[in-house]
Amino acid sequence: MAQPVDSSLNLSPSESAAPAPQPPSAPEMQPSNGAAKPSKPPKQQPKQAPNADSGPASAAGGENLSPAELKKRAKAEKQARRAKEKADKEQGGAAPGGPSATASAKKSSSGGGGGAGGKDAASGAQQKGQRHRRGSAQAGAQGPAAEKKKKQEDKSVAVFGHLYGQPRRTTVAGAGKEVHPAVLALGLQMRDYVVCGSSARCVATLLAFKRVIESYTTPLGTSLPRHLTTHLSHQITYLSTCRPLSISQGNAIRALKLEISSIDPSVPEATAKSTLSDFIDSFIREKITVADQVIAGSAAQKIQDGDVIVTYAGSSIVKQTLLTAFKQGKKFRVSIIDSRPLFEGKSMARTLAKAGLDVQYSLVNAVSHAIKDATKVFLGAHGMTSNGRLYSRVGTALVAMSAKERAGGVEVPVIVCCETVKFTDRVALDSIVVNEIADADELVINQPPQQVTGIPDSKAAATAQPDTKKGGNKASSQTSPPEPNLASLNGSSPLANWKETPNLQLLNILYDVTPAEYVDMVVTEMGSLPPSAVPIVHRMSTNL
Amino acid sequence: MPPTSVALTPGLTSYLKSLKTNPIDTSIDNLISLLKRRQIRHSRSCATATAYLLLRVISACRTNDAGKLIERVQSVGRRLVAAQPREMVVGNIVRRVLGLIRDEAEDDRDADFNLSEAGSESQPQTPRATDDHSDSLFTRHERPTVSMSTPISMFSLLSHPEPEPSLPGTPASASPSGRLLGHTQTKDIRAEVIDGIGEIIDELGQVDDQIAAYALDHIHSNEIILTHTSSTTVQRFLLKAAAKRKFTVIHAESYPNNHEATHATVSGNQPADEELLSTESFQKPLTELGITVILIPDSAVFALMSRVNKVILGTHSVLANGGLVAAAGTRVIARAAKVHQTPVVVVSGVYKLSPVYPFDFDSLIEYGDASKVIPFEDGDLVDQIDVQNPLYDYVPAELVDLYITNLGGHAPSYLYRIVSDHYRREDISF
Repeated sequence: MAQPVDSSLNLSPSESAAPAPQPPSAPEMQPSNGAAKPSKPPKQQPKQAPNADSGPASAAGGENLSPAELKKRAKAEKQARRAKEKADKEQGGAAPGGPSATASAKKSSSGGGGGAGGKDAASGAQQKGQRHRRGSAQAGAQGPAAEKKKKQEDKSVAVFGHLYGQPRRTTVAGAGKEVHPAVLALGLQMRDYVVCGSSARCVATLLAFKRVIESYTTPLGTSLPRHLTTHLSHQITYLSTCRPLSISQGNAIRALKLEISSIDPSVPEATAKSTLSDFIDSFIREKITVADQVIAGSAAQKIQDGDVIVTYAGSSIVKQTLLTAFKQGKKFRVSIIDSRPLFEGKSMARTLAKAGLDVQYSLVNAVSHAIKDATKVFLGAHGMTSNGRLYSRVGTALVAMSAKERAGGVEVPVIVCCETVKFTDRVALDSIVVNEIADADELVINQPPQQVTGIPDSKAAATAQPDTKKGGNKASSQTSPPEPNLASLNGSSPLANWKETPNLQLLNILYDVTPAEYVDMVVTEMGSLPPSAVPIVHRMSTNL
Repeated sequence: MPPTSVALTPGLTSYLKSLKTNPIDTSIDNLISLLKRRQIRHSRSCATATAYLLLRVISACRTNDAGKLIERVQSVGRRLVAAQPREMVVGNIVRRVLGLIRDEAEDDRDADFNLSEAGSESQPQTPRATDDHSDSLFTRHERPTVSMSTPISMFSLLSHPEPEPSLPGTPASASPSGRLLGHTQTKDIRAEVIDGIGEIIDELGQVDDQIAAYALDHIHSNEIILTHTSSTTVQRFLLKAAAKRKFTVIHAESYPNNHEATHATVSGNQPADEELLSTESFQKPLTELGITVILIPDSAVFALMSRVNKVILGTHSVLANGGLVAAAGTRVIARAAKVHQTPVVVVSGVYKLSPVYPFDFDSLIEYGDASKVIPFEDGDLVDQIDVQNPLYDYVPAELVDLYITNLGGHAPSYLYRIVSDHYRREDISF
């Protein structure tokens, strides 16, 4: 596991940033979004006549302008913006923010088709200044654009309000200069789920930190144990802005910091650094690499001939377990249940199928079917909380519950494979206490670009026209994107402009908490335990 | 847009249009192939198509003999059901039409004996032969025996008119003049049955509104409601409540099979070409009424269930034991609700209520297109692994707390009673 991660770390930040399929992030698209809006209400007035009471009426009331005047003003604004965009482009054409900004401009122009969009813009004018959560850093910069941005409705789901922090970082721009390139790259990889999974992220972080430590020199006037910790915390802060740290990452960082602070300041720097590298290597080996082997070995013993193993999403340790059991010559069937939007089970299915296992694949809506002939359920973990609950990919709880509550059948044992490095002293009663919110745009289905045959129909041409008009400079800089954009306009998902639809929220949580009573056994490198033993093991392993 | 799309894809609208012009046998064959190809697939569309077809069949049947009408409807019904046994509404509609004919025949025979009842007896759309209830209570477990005896009882019923104790008229009051009226009465059977079918069709059109009328009893201010897939019945229900109250809706998207419709429902951008949404597509989405709608993937249901006050589900068909067949993923949602002690409410028109007792649950489940699970880009995987995409789930009765039909709210344990109200015992397996 460590190897692919290591090689990917060698990518330079620019390399990894460019090919990443980034959806334009919320703060970036808002300014351009807002700027595009003044042109909308007049355009849509005839269409909106039936429910106009809140729409154009309020806009006119607020600004006392006739539609014609509004239109004129919008035109002027648009021209100004275009000029500005052009200037920006010429200045920093290679800036990482460039492509995504234009992409979002495109998106907003297409958004004009949605009936609700214009209305939102108009009614939103009244509540400007109330909602001002996102992107406050850019607020002062662009006069009218910033004003429009405030109108954006708060799209965070109220129950999970405490979990919405800063939106995830989208580029390396603005990262502190002390952040090491390896960490920069890793941050983006984690953000885009290239490095995904609790143990993979832990290993990758440790390896990146190893390189940080290798290239570190203690500044004059401080000692390594004192300064290296603060230097590392810059890296850690950067990583956590890319994606919130996993429990395993937190535990590993804690152990590393403890090790750093225990170094005697009188030890020469080179020795201290090699001690730390050795510590990292042995941490990875003991807590993850070997631990995985031990877990796979002992969990594979639980598999018998003729078993039907159900597993959920993609867990590296479960995969290893199944492969180990298969190598031992056991004959069993695997049923993988997967879920949107990450589809982690797909790569697992591919690996297992290539190895020769008998694999069945279905999505989470088919849980009750898949569980019907199951004999055992193997689950991976993101963490185990101190009250014995399993904190894992969202949907795991459904699988565990189905296994336990099977109608009229024997209940199926649920076995969790989890390294002790994933144990935490946090407690959680339900999935709302601890969780991670991912970008809701991941839920919007981007249809693969369709093949365009013949002449596009008039409707598509009509929508395409303002598109090209608006982003005149785009055509020169990017020739390829308009086509898929056009295709996605034709068969676009109804959610394409969900952000303009008032009162509609998308929720994309990453984890859920499985009650302890659904878990029969936790297989760790320290043995197989009931979930109630988690806090004891955690205390033992941290006090060592 | 609708005219072109109708021409391209045969569906309910084009079928109903063709029904007027095509000869009857072609129409039957058309519907059979539409059902087989799943080009008509939603419960309501199937029910509507069946009802209109039977209307045509009856009106084309130039006979006044109830026995012959029944025979004809049975033979058509058998073919339709065989074409798509999992669309249980087809069978339901056929059974109700059969029930209509039988009721008319009985009324007619009764009129022979009872002059005073002759003209005034207009058939209620739902046959309520009170005596049947107690009977079916005891015999409902003996479905096979009933089915065996059905043809015999049917013929004996007509050839030897024996008085029905449940009916008000008694043979004692038979008068010679009744014979004279008999001629006009037999003529009326077909017209009455056609009227009855018209009422069934009306019911299909109104059922959502009738169900929605109960919405305010069940949805209260500031509640959090969870629902799954796009069901027009559920949507209508929520919209009705939204007119008066503010609440929050969490909408699980039912990913591979119906997510597009769900997304369209929550965002209000309805695709114009969906046949079933002919009138419903003009209704506002919930969000426009100020209701907060949170769209979640199916996997997040358990995580959110602890905050949900009520789960409202649509269904594909309801079975006589109180269980239901609904879109895949419903069962696990209902189960999660049970675990969290959250009430589960199922809204369904009575036409979806089927007199079938599920003995083999697997036979109720239809499997769908695997390419929705593994897209074409991952085609290499399909050779190596077994991809499953069930379309439906069987949800046992114990996971449902309440059914709301157009007749009101019922406990799942009460459904058998409604079944016996709506279907004649002889028709349960026709």
